[in-house]
Amino acid sequence: MPATLEPEKILKDLRNLWHDLGRDAEVSGGVLRACGMTLVVAAEKDSNTEELRHTLGVLMHDHPARAIVLSMNEKPGLDANVFSQCWMPFGKHQQICAEGIEITTGSMELAHVAQLLLPLIVSDLPAVLWCRGPRVFSGDPFAPLLPLVQKIIVDSATAADPQAAIATIRVLHREGRHVADLAWTKLTGLRELMASLFDEGTAVGVTSAKIFYGGDVASPSSIYFAAWMERALPGAQVSLNRGEEGPRGLRSIVLLGDACEVTITRPDRTTLEVHCGGRIRRSTTVLLSEEILMSEELSILGADPVFDKVLA
Amino acid sequence: MLKPVASNNPFADPLRFDRRVPDCALVIFGANGDLTKRKLLPALYRLAYERRLPDSFAIVGNSRTAMTDEAFREKMHESVKQFLEDSPFDEDLWNSFARNIFYVAGDLNDAKLYANLKTKLDELNRPNVLYYLSTQPSYYGPVVEAIGAAGLGRSTEKGWHRVVIEKPFGHDLDSARALNARVHTVFPEEAVYRIDHYLGKETVQNIIAFRFGNGIFEPLWNRRYVNHVQITAAESIGVEGRGAYYQEAGALRDMIQNHLLQVMATVAMEPPAVFEPGAMRDERAKLLRSVKIMKPDEVHLYSVAGQYRGFREEQGVDPQSQTNTFAAATFFVDNWRWAGVPFYIRSGKKMPKRTTDIAIQFNSAPHTLFMSEDGRPPRPNLLILRIQPEEGISLRFLSKYPGAGMRLRPVSMDFNYGSSFGERSPSAYETLLMDVMIGDATLYTRQDMVEASWKAVTPILDDWTTRAFDFPNYDPGTWGPVESDAMLARNGHKWRNG
Repeated sequence: MPATLEPEKILKDLRNLWHDLGRDAEVSGGVLRACGMTLVVAAEKDSNTEELRHTLGVLMHDHPARAIVLSMNEKPGLDANVFSQCWMPFGKHQQICAEGIEITTGSMELAHVAQLLLPLIVSDLPAVLWCRGPRVFSGDPFAPLLPLVQKIIVDSATAADPQAAIATIRVLHREGRHVADLAWTKLTGLRELMASLFDEGTAVGVTSAKIFYGGDVASPSSIYFAAWMERALPGAQVSLNRGEEGPRGLRSIVLLGDACEVTITRPDRTTLEVHCGGRIRRSTTVLLSEEILMSEELSILGADPVFDKVLA
Repeated sequence: MLKPVASNNPFADPLRFDRRVPDCALVIFGANGDLTKRKLLPALYRLAYERRLPDSFAIVGNSRTAMTDEAFREKMHESVKQFLEDSPFDEDLWNSFARNIFYVAGDLNDAKLYANLKTKLDELNRPNVLYYLSTQPSYYGPVVEAIGAAGLGRSTEKGWHRVVIEKPFGHDLDSARALNARVHTVFPEEAVYRIDHYLGKETVQNIIAFRFGNGIFEPLWNRRYVNHVQITAAESIGVEGRGAYYQEAGALRDMIQNHLLQVMATVAMEPPAVFEPGAMRDERAKLLRSVKIMKPDEVHLYSVAGQYRGFREEQGVDPQSQTNTFAAATFFVDNWRWAGVPFYIRSGKKMPKRTTDIAIQFNSAPHTLFMSEDGRPPRPNLLILRIQPEEGISLRFLSKYPGAGMRLRPVSMDFNYGSSFGERSPSAYETLLMDVMIGDATLYTRQDMVEASWKAVTPILDDWTTRAFDFPNYDPGTWGPVESDAMLARNGHKWRNG
């Protein structure tokens, strides 16, 4: 490991950073150091740094953490710098700041990075690894980092082969790791709608559920949704079918139940339509961004029983 | 503390979906008042923003003023925009939320109002109905009876009918009992939700997590280690135009009888066997029943009334008013855990700052090895549970001052909500409105709790209503009358005025 990347040096830089922040804030209402976990982000080589910074900035409001960003580089070698993310809560006079470390690393140095990370992870608080991109599904690049964290977050929608990606996730799950997939997180709004249809009696006594996807192969979200429906409705016939032409992803669901034939469609990215007995009900959902999905996952740091069953 | 969507719902995912409100209509009596504008509607809008309310959720506002649905919506639109805290306002969301806001004008004493409400509720056809009494307290009994007379009160096979009653619940023990009896002629106890918004505050709920979720504090939480407890709710403002109401209530009735005794019960109660509404409320009630009732000759030793200079000049206030704008009392709890430990409670207006906290002062170390810098025995450990304005917990302990010699200084170990969980906690009304709609009464007060807390303050009320105080007796910007300091000094204690 190069001498310039001694963890003690990085921690000293962090101390200096807080010292400077504190001094700058002497004239204002002070600075509150916020930290509830360590979030290690394994960013891809071609990752959009600005976008990632924005995502982290938003995430820190609800999940203040020491963010450690691993930026993959073509060139060998390691480099590090520290940064802070600050915000002024509405109506308050005190800034809240979270700290971050950006480590630039070549692929060959990942094993060294694990060694470097251990003293940088905040003791006694949860640590989460977010693999931002498909690299996690090719080989085992982050294996040295896995023992350091309690939860791993991936996004199988970024993988070229969804089935293979889900198989990788299942392996991690079988190894006893808490693993999350943002392709599953994207389904929360739709699953919540299903729960409400059951509560109001529309999705009761379902005997058959047909799930339609767009594109040539079923997206990870479609596969997860079908697996979840099978678990939720053990007596029903659940099938995953290729639908009409259209973009890749989950397109529609048709349920045959006591009340009526229920069709759920997604006419655009923020609308869900429920057709039942000639009636149409529309629900508006928020446009799912990376930070919304990540925020949901960072709220669950232990076991996730429903997703665990889907993976089982 | 999340609860499943519904125990028999195969699609439930309690970790991911927030608690869901069933299809219901909320009828607000007193919908033109401040509480509706400042608290209820902003809280409901925020719940809608977080997708916790079903699309069909309906609100029916009532007050005497004649108004169309549209005019009422416009009024609420302005209120939500003005009073929404820490949240963005989304015009599109408001439009869809406001579609189900309606208004029925009418006098609370007029039977026609309830007939019109029945027509509106029949038209809306929601299986569950929640009535929120945000009216003058004198209307609580008559409104509940009128709801009953109109056939609107009873839960049916289709759904529940519940009522939320704001504080004050009665103005003394007898009136509280009488009101309970009237309410029960229409609503059974399990359908009555007496709201105390202090219990909905995150930090008050966190007392339960702090005490019963951690193993290290509970063994110290008793008379062997705790020297005394101070509960302070101070406001820097005066009555701010509420003089007419306030002079009928006073600090003892307005704050101590309800909010602060409930907080004290949360701090001092025994651990429940399970985290369930019944078990939690049983323990709170048991604690309140254990509060030692003062004898008449003890009242002057254990309580202090105050009134700030200038209160009598406030609009609507009697120039000879005997109302207490400051009240302090010493309570003891007659049980094994707390015997002999004083609980000092105070609340006042026009204090030096706005603060609400609970300070648990532990006993000093049994043998003093070190002196503090001023040569006196060091100050004992102090645990502070801060409720507002900065929610959090601090522990004060002694530490060696760096350098030569053994000089000790108190230092503070702080937990701040903002530094661990981000910036936004739900408001107390968001929490409590969600709870009542999903039928969770944990944070609501029960009949026996209300009556026990009235019993605890009855000797003070009896004494103060017959006494002529030499008011005003404290200056704005101070911590109340000097007698309040003397009350603690008699036990060798001192208020924390930090």
